[in-house]
Amino acid sequence: MSQPVTPRRTTRSSAGSVSDPASPSKSRPKSTPRRQLIPAAAKEEGEDERSSINVLLEALPGRRAQASDLLRLLAPAPALPLLLYGGAATGKTRALLLALRHIRPRPQRVAYAALRSLPSPRALFASLLSQLSPPPSSSASSRQRVPDKPSDFVAALRDALAGLCAQGEAVYLVFDNLEVVRSWEKGGQLLALILRLHDLLRLPQVVLVYVSSATPDAYYSMTGSVEPNHIYFPDYTVDEVRDILIRGHPNPKLYASFLSVALTPLFRVTRRVDELGAALEPLFRRYCEPLGDLEAVPDESIKRRLFEHIQPHLAVALNETFSVPMRASVDQFKDGNSGGKASTKRQFGSRDSLSTELEFHMSVSAKYLLLSAFLASRNPATLDAALFDSTGGSDNHRRKRKSSQASMNMKDTMVEEMLMKGPGTFPLERLLAIFQCITSVSEDALNDVECPDSMMNGSGMTGLMSDVLLQLSTLCNSNFLSKSRSCPLEGSARYRSNIDEDLALKVARSVSFPLSKYIYRR
Amino acid sequence: MVAAAAASVASQAQAVLRGRLCDPGFVHSALRSSPDTNYSKLKYLVASSVSEACNNSVLLLGPRGCGKAAVVDMVLEDLKKEHPDAISVIRLNGMLHSDDNCATKEIARQLCLEHQLSFSKMASSDDNTEFIIDMLRECGLAHKTILFILEEFDLFAQGKQRLLYSLLDAMQSLTSQAVVIGVSCRLDADQLLEKRVRSRFSHRKLLFVPSSLEDTQRLVEHLLILAKDSGLPAKYITDYNSRLTNIFSDKKFKGILNSLMDADATTSNILRFLFRAVSYMDMESGFLSMESFLKALSSLQRQPKMDSLQDLSILELYILVCMHRLEDKEQSSYNFTSIMKEYRSIQDAYKTSDKYASTVCFRAFEHLLDRELISFGDNRGRNQALEYRPVKLLISSRELAQSLKLNTTCPALLQKLFDRERYM
Repeated sequence: MSQPVTPRRTTRSSAGSVSDPASPSKSRPKSTPRRQLIPAAAKEEGEDERSSINVLLEALPGRRAQASDLLRLLAPAPALPLLLYGGAATGKTRALLLALRHIRPRPQRVAYAALRSLPSPRALFASLLSQLSPPPSSSASSRQRVPDKPSDFVAALRDALAGLCAQGEAVYLVFDNLEVVRSWEKGGQLLALILRLHDLLRLPQVVLVYVSSATPDAYYSMTGSVEPNHIYFPDYTVDEVRDILIRGHPNPKLYASFLSVALTPLFRVTRRVDELGAALEPLFRRYCEPLGDLEAVPDESIKRRLFEHIQPHLAVALNETFSVPMRASVDQFKDGNSGGKASTKRQFGSRDSLSTELEFHMSVSAKYLLLSAFLASRNPATLDAALFDSTGGSDNHRRKRKSSQASMNMKDTMVEEMLMKGPGTFPLERLLAIFQCITSVSEDALNDVECPDSMMNGSGMTGLMSDVLLQLSTLCNSNFLSKSRSCPLEGSARYRSNIDEDLALKVARSVSFPLSKYIYRR
Repeated sequence: MVAAAAASVASQAQAVLRGRLCDPGFVHSALRSSPDTNYSKLKYLVASSVSEACNNSVLLLGPRGCGKAAVVDMVLEDLKKEHPDAISVIRLNGMLHSDDNCATKEIARQLCLEHQLSFSKMASSDDNTEFIIDMLRECGLAHKTILFILEEFDLFAQGKQRLLYSLLDAMQSLTSQAVVIGVSCRLDADQLLEKRVRSRFSHRKLLFVPSSLEDTQRLVEHLLILAKDSGLPAKYITDYNSRLTNIFSDKKFKGILNSLMDADATTSNILRFLFRAVSYMDMESGFLSMESFLKALSSLQRQPKMDSLQDLSILELYILVCMHRLEDKEQSSYNFTSIMKEYRSIQDAYKTSDKYASTVCFRAFEHLLDRELISFGDNRGRNQALEYRPVKLLISSRELAQSLKLNTTCPALLQKLFDRERYM
């Protein structure tokens, strides 16, 4: 009879499915690594009250105050609405769902709606009603019309709940990710409806729980006569994060010595457990590399050796938001064990010899197209003639720079404007013109790779054009370029390059194109 | 064994108290005995219209959580007892039924339910309107008053106000017998009405205001003092009540109530406070203590912005300070790239260890956006890259200064960077 509630993130996604809100088998594969950091709570079905609360506190490290508040405010049944708020990855949903399993008397019915996975009011209504309707008649109710008007929904919800409440059962309605509703179309109305359900239903046995990552100020104007009680979930402190990360680790001693080195610097950058966990995992693998035996308990000398080993990797990890697994490992790459397209690439140590560069699986002409788009976005169109003159760009470029120097004040405002406006847009013709110019400058580089018949000047022109247009749409699809709205005067589509200078320089280096000569600097 | 018994008595008492706090009928029941309240005024008004068989309309106005709906409920309950066959109640809520078609349908549905008629879902809006007018006449002939309760009345005043017009117009005829009670938290709700509607509305208004300190004290006593017949052991009740009266007479408790009412004096806020205090009841001793009240007060006085400022990492604080410096330079608008420029110049000047790549900084920037401490300055330019959209701070410089001071891990340099440009 009791609604199965799993305390994992999987519940969020599975709650979206209308047919069977919590089938564990179906939702298991979707579980994210973030939730796997925290080991699932032990089964505690038939234990007595005192120890079950201890199990709850054990399962929620660093959340003692919040968990006891939850237990006190949620039960026994007549209770005011509750709002749990706090930043991302602070254990709001987990604490709530675990607490709902531990409160006495046990709630007979919990309806859980994660608004992030229920993208429309209709889906929300359908999900809630299907979770509340009794199981035997579920086949019958699926044939019923799902209400899409709020008035029909509240009437249906009241009918469903009144039936349950008449049996003396407490019903918990949980609305997760409340903050996403604000950006929906007519989200304000739906949010007001959700927050005023207490007034609309007038059923004391129904306890409403809201979970939001936005602070309560976001909802002040929308609440009804009863404002929800708030429980704040602060971010974990560094000690709590360490406890969470060590939990369930096979070799806690080794991991603790690793964390004492790696956690503090990373903690200065981000305090979110999920991001820290993701950043620490590859680092720990590096940390263990010199060790033969992973089960060993490290002593001081080993610790010092490992520290020196990890130090450079740590500096790199601090400056990365995510790491891309390479197809070929760096060592293989250095040995020259690379084939195919990689011949045009070189290992270029920009910051650090250890830094792993992104591999571009992109044809050379696409790279040139990307570079010309970058130049077209950054450089003013008036300078194109000077930069890409047939007599050679660089000389002209230098002269032009000197003549364009204005007063310092003027320059500052120009730079400011440039920073504010971001990359400019350009028509297709300009892009193609620049593309022609820069490919002709580094013709030799192209001739190595590209088929000679398509690159023949004059005769292969049309072939090249169609190919370039194809590449252009590929670049647009992969979001390197974006197509902006068409110019009202010309009527043709305009493009904008989305890549930053670092990436452009890397691409240029991979095709050994002197990009910096062509960038106009004020 | 004794302790377990005491705990069970205490949890029983807690359940009783929670039940009281969640029951608006009980909360406002003290109004019944006292004269000259909105309750007695409304009751007199409605009762006289019922007994004299006339039409009437009234608006209940006041901020949220002052017990407007509870008073209506109490009056209806009393009237149902006094005139069991002479009234029928139709309830509408502006949030659900502000659409005219939807509202007429709902009225027809409730009328059918009330008079044991079968309701057709397929009936058109015109049919429903006609049915309502017929019903009004029939009820008038049978000397039965129809009470329309319109909650969130201001929402009915949106659009063409056809519903309000047709209701109030139908009430102009001699045969009908109806009372319209509008409930709204907008004090100017009657000003929202169109001229044709306003002229048909009897300008009776009852104003609800948050209660005074004395009233609140009386309310708290009414809610928390256990009666002799509440089913708990008599000894427990006397002990409990004597402790509670001690707390009530304490000067500290008056201070708590004062600071609570300074922020928000509505009944719902008092209820929320008491609910928390009761939930924090010490189960070992089984009595309410001063600590539970203090704890409840402190949990109501949280400042969400300050809390989330305390949760920031060092890098995120750097970005906030950079933004603040840009604002102090009276730069009209700035975006992520200009923030990064400022950040780089700070890092170059001071050579700190907190110099990170711009992707890492951008992630920190996104965290700040998530926490709603900063936001984009405009809604335009959706297709523009995030780095170039202008942003603004959503916190004051005082809040930022305070949070930097409170943060124990915050580097001294950051504090200096923040303070320096304030005195320059």
